[in-house]
Amino acid sequence: MQWQQVWRGEGELMLGYWSPITQSAGFVSKGALAASVILMMAGFTLSESLPAYKTSPDVLHPPSAEYWLGTNGIGQDVFIGLVRAAPVTIFLALVTATAALVLALAASSLAAFGGPAVRGAVLRVVDVLQVIPSILLLLLLAAWIQPGFLGLVVLLALTGWHEDVRVALPILLRELTRENVHFARRMGASRTYCLRHHILPAIWPAIVGLFLQNVRQAALKSAGFGFLGLTDPRLLTWGSMMQDAMEHLYTDAWAWLLLPPAGALSLFLIGILIIGEGYSQSGGLTGKEQYDPG
Amino acid sequence: MVPPILINLLSGLSVRLLVFFLLVLLVFFLPRLLPGDPVAIFLSSDLSRDLSGSEAVELRSQFGLAGGWLQQLGEYLSNLIVGDLGYSVPHAAPVSQLLKTAIPWTLLLIACAAPLFLIAGAAGGIEAGKAPGALFDRVATGTVTVIASIPPFTAAVLLLLAFGILWPVLPAGGAEPLFPSDNPLQRDFDVARHAVLPVLALSLHEVSRFYFLARGEAITLSQRPFIINACGRGIKGWRLRAAYYGRSLFPVFLARMSDSLTGLFGAVLFVEIVFSYPGTGHLIYNAILDRDYVLLQGAVIVMAGLVLLLNWIIDAVATSLARRG
Repeated sequence: MQWQQVWRGEGELMLGYWSPITQSAGFVSKGALAASVILMMAGFTLSESLPAYKTSPDVLHPPSAEYWLGTNGIGQDVFIGLVRAAPVTIFLALVTATAALVLALAASSLAAFGGPAVRGAVLRVVDVLQVIPSILLLLLLAAWIQPGFLGLVVLLALTGWHEDVRVALPILLRELTRENVHFARRMGASRTYCLRHHILPAIWPAIVGLFLQNVRQAALKSAGFGFLGLTDPRLLTWGSMMQDAMEHLYTDAWAWLLLPPAGALSLFLIGILIIGEGYSQSGGLTGKEQYDPG
Repeated sequence: MVPPILINLLSGLSVRLLVFFLLVLLVFFLPRLLPGDPVAIFLSSDLSRDLSGSEAVELRSQFGLAGGWLQQLGEYLSNLIVGDLGYSVPHAAPVSQLLKTAIPWTLLLIACAAPLFLIAGAAGGIEAGKAPGALFDRVATGTVTVIASIPPFTAAVLLLLAFGILWPVLPAGGAEPLFPSDNPLQRDFDVARHAVLPVLALSLHEVSRFYFLARGEAITLSQRPFIINACGRGIKGWRLRAAYYGRSLFPVFLARMSDSLTGLFGAVLFVEIVFSYPGTGHLIYNAILDRDYVLLQGAVIVMAGLVLLLNWIIDAVATSLARRG
């Protein structure tokens, strides 16, 4: 099982394309993740201290000194909207990715420790989820409940976790049967000790890889729901800002209504892709993982 | 002896039938479990505020909501088997008839886009993977990375904006002109013109998936003896790319096709909504906006069935090919 397989999805198998940029000194594990957390915190603080995202008589005002990115159809300042939506959009992706990963790891552990019957059952469930056209199911549910933040997290996590099991389970199984774990157990180490000192460090790179991939998927999907207007109207995301812009495609206003949220969303997605690629090439591969032919 | 493809077909069928049945059950029970029943929601809409009590009862039975759950389920399933998916009140037409007109448009988009993104993805990926790090690889992979980070709806909106509105060389919406021509040739031409932008948007979204797959595979293939041998024998150009790389990519591509079919149907929904293309995506979206749950349920069941059917066939072929090696 090659580690690169973990980083599949759309950005899969780029095999080192971005690594010259991102390989330097554990780019992700230390720098990028810390930076994104700080930026997000700053975003939350900033968005709270910003003037409210309120309607005004200045409808469809082009960008000016007063409104940096213009105003939308009901006079809301696009720049303020963009900054306010940033932490929500990013946080939504991060929380959803975490929830999906936790579910996947729980299912993988259950399959790994539960014996052949349980493993078979878990894998069949994964099979079933794999062929379900989840977008249709999500549309149906979203139409009904118009999910807010929490609803979106639950919906996306429940329909996204199964993809990770296929990757996490073989890695977990491989680590469980390694000599170092067997040896430690013979020497009297407890299961938790083995988990903390042998198994977790070995599977950690794969977990981070899966997490980054989930973040991308969650961001794409939640933006899609926002764009379709299927989320709670009070939930301001870049996707929902793009939906607002759709009415103004035939006027000049598209330039300041559509491009800022679309650009921000794409920049976020491309950033995650490059970070993941850099990670799979550098930080994640420094251990024995890299040379494992298994 | 039974051909292996038949065995693969049969073994894949059971799980898909199970999934389909579960989906039908879910689609049946979901509206009944969630707060607010369809009739109540329907009555609260502007469409039918002043309905009398007896009319509401009739409507209730029309929605399949009369009687106990078991009885409703039995009726629902027996209707489904004979192809009766209910009646859409906002469209004033049976759901099955609405779907019958919408599905061909969706399939047209997918059928036109699939060869485009498969060939472009394979050709680009092989070229880049043959010499990773070379100029072509650097430019192409950079471009595709950017394309991969543009969500399908953004790509569709940008294409619509560029070629439908700012520089209006192609129609911005619909599948045909308002008054289709009587001349079949002219009509085909109009349909093709209307399909260009949606097909492009759909291919653009999918191409990155297959590009990265082909590139990764080509990098690995370049180190395999049969390719090194072929290069040593002086085989190059078209023959090396198609017969050596391309043929080895085929099973991997098919396997990925069956995996990504759901994603493709998801993307086509967005594309149809942006371009007001009269396919199932557009139908589903309008059903959501109109709160037309009968249509929504019917469309979800039929689309899910279609996805499962396609995914079943592609999967069986891919497994047979992979086994052949």
